[in-house]
Amino acid sequence: MNATAATATARRKRLGLDSPYVFVLPAVLLFGMFTFYPILRSLYLSFFDYNFLRPDQMHWIGLGNYREILRDERVAGWPGLVLPQGHLALWQYPLYPLLVAWLTINSPGGAFWNTVRFTAMYVPLAVVIPLFLAVLVERAGRLSTLFRTLNFIPVVVSVAVVSIIWMWIYHPEYGVVNTLLRQYAGMREGYTWLSDPKLAMPAVVAMCVWHGLGFNMLLFLVGLQRIPPELTEAARVDGATGWQALVRITIPLLRPTIFLVGLLVMVGALKVFGQMFIMTQGGPADSTLSMVLYLYNIAFRYGKFRFGYASALAWALALFIFLVSVVSFRLSKERA
Amino acid sequence: MGMTASRLKPAAPRRAPTVDRARRYAGGGLRYLVLAAVSALSLLPFLWVILSSLKSHEELYSKHLTFWPHRWTWDNYTQMFERMVGFGLYYRNSVLVSLGTVVLTLFTGSLAAYALSRFRFRGDRALLLLFLGTMMVPGEVGLIGQYELLSAYRLLNTLTGLTLSYSAFSLALTIFIMHSVFTGVPQELLDAARVDGCSWWEGFWQIMVPMGASGLAAAGTLVFLNSWNEFIFALTMNNWSDEARTLPVGIQLLQGQWQHWDYGVLFSSVMLSFVPVIILFLLLQKYFMRGLTAGAVKG
Repeated sequence: MNATAATATARRKRLGLDSPYVFVLPAVLLFGMFTFYPILRSLYLSFFDYNFLRPDQMHWIGLGNYREILRDERVAGWPGLVLPQGHLALWQYPLYPLLVAWLTINSPGGAFWNTVRFTAMYVPLAVVIPLFLAVLVERAGRLSTLFRTLNFIPVVVSVAVVSIIWMWIYHPEYGVVNTLLRQYAGMREGYTWLSDPKLAMPAVVAMCVWHGLGFNMLLFLVGLQRIPPELTEAARVDGATGWQALVRITIPLLRPTIFLVGLLVMVGALKVFGQMFIMTQGGPADSTLSMVLYLYNIAFRYGKFRFGYASALAWALALFIFLVSVVSFRLSKERA
Repeated sequence: MGMTASRLKPAAPRRAPTVDRARRYAGGGLRYLVLAAVSALSLLPFLWVILSSLKSHEELYSKHLTFWPHRWTWDNYTQMFERMVGFGLYYRNSVLVSLGTVVLTLFTGSLAAYALSRFRFRGDRALLLLFLGTMMVPGEVGLIGQYELLSAYRLLNTLTGLTLSYSAFSLALTIFIMHSVFTGVPQELLDAARVDGCSWWEGFWQIMVPMGASGLAAAGTLVFLNSWNEFIFALTMNNWSDEARTLPVGIQLLQGQWQHWDYGVLFSSVMLSFVPVIILFLLLQKYFMRGLTAGAVKG
């Protein structure tokens, strides 16, 4: 250490700057001001009738905003159980519950229902498909790194760019999907993917599954590597087929990872925003209006800058996410 | 119980080895086929954008979809640089905000992680809990409060404002990653430096930073990626003028403006916005994957 550095060190020590309190200070200031305070401020605002452009008229309404959420059809609206219309073919009867479930899930409602149904469509696909592929990739030997890398590429590209690319893919006239349908499936027109209330949500879900595939697969691969290969090998020696070893040994051992991925994907899905904002603006007919999109619109789009109500929506969503996470944790503990 | 029972039974008679090998071969082939198809699906949209950006206007709007351009042309790119004035600006803003966020977050975050992992001081547990606990709260909850805050300090539509917002938001995650990295650094190294007359501050720079370099790189790539791709805060805070707009918001805006005029120009701008990130990812793969998995386990 040279002389000037030594004197600088001595000065810092003398001033009491060489202490952990000083080391945490910048982080505490930054975090306190720009993360912690805004969160608490939103909570505070959620109890007020507050228009950002009219701060003088701000007044306390207690739980008024939260009561409004329950009354607001655009949040709390729900289609109810949707039963199949018309005649059913004989083979459809055993599938009746599934059919009702699908029709219900694919029926638009308020922002809350739309968020839930997005999650209900997205989460199973975003867990099962990457899990299946991760098992394949893990057994792909020398090529496994290559497959992992290639499938990871969409993950690093932003939601905005991916959404725009998929808008082109879904374009009714020039889009790839419809062109293929016209050229190879003999359709005259194809579908209007993003402007049909029955198709818009599944179309967005398909894009999200594609986008998150590589990431969820990576998490599963990390989990798979923690399972000692001897276990499945032993089962194989005992005469189990590859499929049996997978279902009886690998998947049960992978349960913590499956739970983790499921929870991550679910929490992410409940906060979905960008995809809808860019691709559909919540339409057609509010069928893809998500909670975050609605609260964004309430705060910044509808011209009224209702910061109080938007804050209440944000906090209600956060509470819901918290509840769902706690319940899933409980369930996973009970089953383990 | 079932396992032990089956283990006691004699193994099932094995099939003839050639049949077995053929089956395994076919199974392996199928596996590679599925993986190749899925990988192609992951890449094709990007490849299609790249190829389309090199097609002529007529080809893009023709009834027949083409994959390879009939005639390669740079027209879309020259057009883009001439007419999409904002694009270069959005690009610059994204680079500045992302790099600024990485530097600010890594500095403040790792310094705090150093203090929290190496020192006992009043409130240290509470502080760590506070940082990690806030990670469970969705960032969107702070959106309104932050808008008000930035507006009060005249930081809306400034690169500074967004950088501060992103840094604060990435801080908990960085502290979480660096805390576990620093905990793994042997205390003896730090003690030896102390004996040599180093202050704690110098111990941080001379011991912890070099020892935690790969952890810092992983956290840094994660923070960079998150800020580069972030959408809702950028849309809310920096959307009044081109001056402070970042790429994700800007490109969405350009899509709205140009979709009825010229898809080719849009293709080229979209291509320029994803290619650098993909190249960066391919070069720094190790850190991307490590940072992202570390970030995921946070919940």
